[in-house]
Amino acid sequence: MVAVVVFVRRARARMALLRAARPAARTAEVGARARRELVQVLGQRKLFQKALPGVMHACIFWGFLVLFPTIVEAILAIVDDGRSLPVIGQAPWFLFLVDLFATLVAVGIAIAFYIRKIQRPDRFRGSHMEEADKILLAILGIVTTLLLWNATKIALGQTAHPSAEPVANALSNLFGTGQPTETLERVFVWAHVLIVLGFLAYLPKSKHLHIITAAPNVYFAKNGPSGHLEKLEIDLEGPEEDIRFGVATGKDLSKKQLLDLFSCTECGRCQEVCPAWNTGKPLSPKLLIMDIRDAVAGIDPAAGEVELQPLVPNAVTDEVVWDCVTCGACMQECPVDIEHVDTIVDLRRNLVMAESRFPTEAGTMLRGVEGPNENPWSQPASARTDWIGDIPVRVLAPGDEAPEYLFWVGCAGAFDDRAKKTTQSVARLLNAAGVDWAVLGGRERCTGDPARRMGHEYLFQMLAEQNVATFAEAGITKVVATCAHCFNTLANEYPDYGATLEVVHHTELLSHLLAERKLLTTPGTRGTVTYHDACYLGRHNGRYDAPRDVLGSTGLATEEMERARERSFCCGAGGARMWMEEDGDARINDTRFAEAAGTGADTLAVACPYCFVMLDDAAKAAGSDMRVADVATLLAEAITADGDRPAT
Amino acid sequence: MGATWVYAEVTPDGVHPSALELLTKARALGGEVEAVALGPGATGAASELGAHGAGIVYASDDQTFADQPGRTAAHTLHWLISQHTPSLILFPGTYEGRDVAGCLQALTGSTLMANATDVESSSRARTEIFGGTKIVEVDLAGREPRLVLVRPKSFPAEPSGGTAEVVAVDAVTPPGPTATVVERHAEAASGPKLEEANVVVAGGRGLGGPEPFAMLDDLAAAIGGAAVGASRAAVDAGWVPYAYQVGQTGKTVKPEVYIAAGISGALQHVVGMKGAKRIVAINKDADAPILKIADLGVVGDLFQIIPALTEEVRRRASS
Repeated sequence: MVAVVVFVRRARARMALLRAARPAARTAEVGARARRELVQVLGQRKLFQKALPGVMHACIFWGFLVLFPTIVEAILAIVDDGRSLPVIGQAPWFLFLVDLFATLVAVGIAIAFYIRKIQRPDRFRGSHMEEADKILLAILGIVTTLLLWNATKIALGQTAHPSAEPVANALSNLFGTGQPTETLERVFVWAHVLIVLGFLAYLPKSKHLHIITAAPNVYFAKNGPSGHLEKLEIDLEGPEEDIRFGVATGKDLSKKQLLDLFSCTECGRCQEVCPAWNTGKPLSPKLLIMDIRDAVAGIDPAAGEVELQPLVPNAVTDEVVWDCVTCGACMQECPVDIEHVDTIVDLRRNLVMAESRFPTEAGTMLRGVEGPNENPWSQPASARTDWIGDIPVRVLAPGDEAPEYLFWVGCAGAFDDRAKKTTQSVARLLNAAGVDWAVLGGRERCTGDPARRMGHEYLFQMLAEQNVATFAEAGITKVVATCAHCFNTLANEYPDYGATLEVVHHTELLSHLLAERKLLTTPGTRGTVTYHDACYLGRHNGRYDAPRDVLGSTGLATEEMERARERSFCCGAGGARMWMEEDGDARINDTRFAEAAGTGADTLAVACPYCFVMLDDAAKAAGSDMRVADVATLLAEAITADGDRPAT
Repeated sequence: MGATWVYAEVTPDGVHPSALELLTKARALGGEVEAVALGPGATGAASELGAHGAGIVYASDDQTFADQPGRTAAHTLHWLISQHTPSLILFPGTYEGRDVAGCLQALTGSTLMANATDVESSSRARTEIFGGTKIVEVDLAGREPRLVLVRPKSFPAEPSGGTAEVVAVDAVTPPGPTATVVERHAEAASGPKLEEANVVVAGGRGLGGPEPFAMLDDLAAAIGGAAVGASRAAVDAGWVPYAYQVGQTGKTVKPEVYIAAGISGALQHVVGMKGAKRIVAINKDADAPILKIADLGVVGDLFQIIPALTEEVRRRASS
């Protein structure tokens, strides 16, 4: 009774926080949410992303699903000795499952201790290890007492089907049939129930609360591509106290963001894959969530108007907030669907829009994007067609007939010398395949992605609205983009601003044209290539195969890096890090390039201009002669080199 | 309406240009215009302040203002306010201006508006938000004097041709503990600042290491008034500190002449120096993008060209 009261009181404090929080629009598409519950919670899919910890957790989790009735059974047995649950209580199949899963839970605990005490992976650095030990021991206590209780019942002849419980049956040999065993039977059942209740009371204040919060957190996770940031409503005309620019204090967090905090078990899978943490920066997604959780735990929602400390720099430092490359590796790994990146961007929004506080060197980019030329490098709009040279390209003038595909060149594709090569290759390939396409030329402007990832939502929204208007005016329905960031923004975020476009990445379109035999290559042997998955193409949008298919048709032999596809390691430019200086033990681009060079391939293929610039810089810094080139350029060479079909 | 005051920041090089801008604005508001100048050199600056419209300059040359910045000036201003009751005080949005204004506001409890870009009267000012895309009109309420921090270079400075009466004031010692100046260290400034130099000599990856930067130092010294810069590649490699970096995420320079040695001319770098009047590029790679934007491109070995150039500059300077 006491345990239940303590549990309810502590849980209510957390519920009150949740109720007071900002709503999160996360209820639509029930089907997708239910499917996620099945696959991710019941099926433990994301836990199995790591094999041994996956087995460990599945043993314990599935064990507890099966063992839930035995808790009721034990309580019944305390109230009225000899009573058990109707129907299943004495059914041999149920007894067998209980025996099996109680044993599996014990095995799971053993694996957990093996991982924690012997393997000691670095991902636990900063986690509460002692608390975890206590919880694991409590769980071990629960199943041990259960098995021993069942064993004493067998010894006392109270069970109809002892052979259905092989483990308890074996243990029953330890006990006689007399009075001492009867006493022990009572001791074990009481111990079992007391540990369960103690656990219950401990739960709401512990990181183990995830057994309650994880399922709803997964349910309320973002549907669709993780690269989609939710629209921030900025209503400058409304009452002043309603104006929010992202998250300043704990009270600005949404219900989902709070639930994230209560769902974290400090497993550190996110920390293990974080490019910032792995190159010696202070940001760890796990520590970020823990630090915000600790700051929020002190809030009393009933206290009314209390001046709360801003989360930055009190709970997390400015540096931590700016270290993030928004690559989404943390969210990909997180078994309970915590959305670290969205929270970081919300913190940035407040810093940039409310406080104008951000790394100074990024100011040049913001001024460029909002300036008259509307691109990060402040290049004149007229230079957007400089890449064209002698390539036949239709530049859309106002009033021109709309093409089937608008080729969205992007600022990097138009201005950066390396990215321009990609642009030129794509243009030649589209011509060779006879695609009806055109560019907007000087009417193109930044999509606003770098500003948005910096937290300058207002600037992003202005650009989005202007670009959407340009698309509508030009009658554009299909867009092909070479930049993974433009692609993500146009495909996932522009619909929030009224765009109805079919957006493809150039690797997808090229793959499609190859499949349709509109582009023909003669495979030859031209060396080996390794492909670097761009975060905003791969992990955030699930496009892994198209670039590989294109490479496969070029005749280059492909070598995969150890971290590939959904496990790819960022080039270091995402999250507007392209526009900031990097400190720390190592540079992210150098780290990634070293991995690529380690495959022994002679070419590193990329599919995004940011990756191109970052990895090519790293290649030069390393003095390596490994070539960095876009997938499209490699394809264009495979076509022209063999003369199977002219490329222009 | 009482007088409009301008807090005139006095630096070792004389009166800060912002004071003259603020005086010009204060004149446009109508009414009395007066200035407060505190610190060594204040009395000497009074004539310049008068020439820009200050009728009275409350001045003190007391060294304490330099030794105990911020609070001493704020307490002295607080005392002056109690004697003369101005309506509005304009401060420059400099480090010192912000320090003094913030401290003074704590003493007066009156309105303090920061980051103003325009002032209309003692009860209305303007600021810009979202990178200058929205202008906000701000009503200044509460007791006078109202305090407004104005972004430097918001107005041009125009002389009025007047003269100022100088009223000497004594420094008011703030209550509580004060710091004691034990030692002073002046940062050894070698040559002009990168952003202000007429000639910039910059090195990139082509230099191959930190040592060849000495070669660029020699050239800069021979030219005189030249500063040394670097590309991001050279900074990332650890050859020179970040303060040297020219480019998108470094400094933006607009010198008369920019000499790029061993710099390929990646967009990241070009953004920071394309405003140079003349660009000279030395690169061994004839395809380097920097040669496309250079007014004078030299394809060759910088290890031979730079010393020869330095020698020639010295020879011409001495003849």
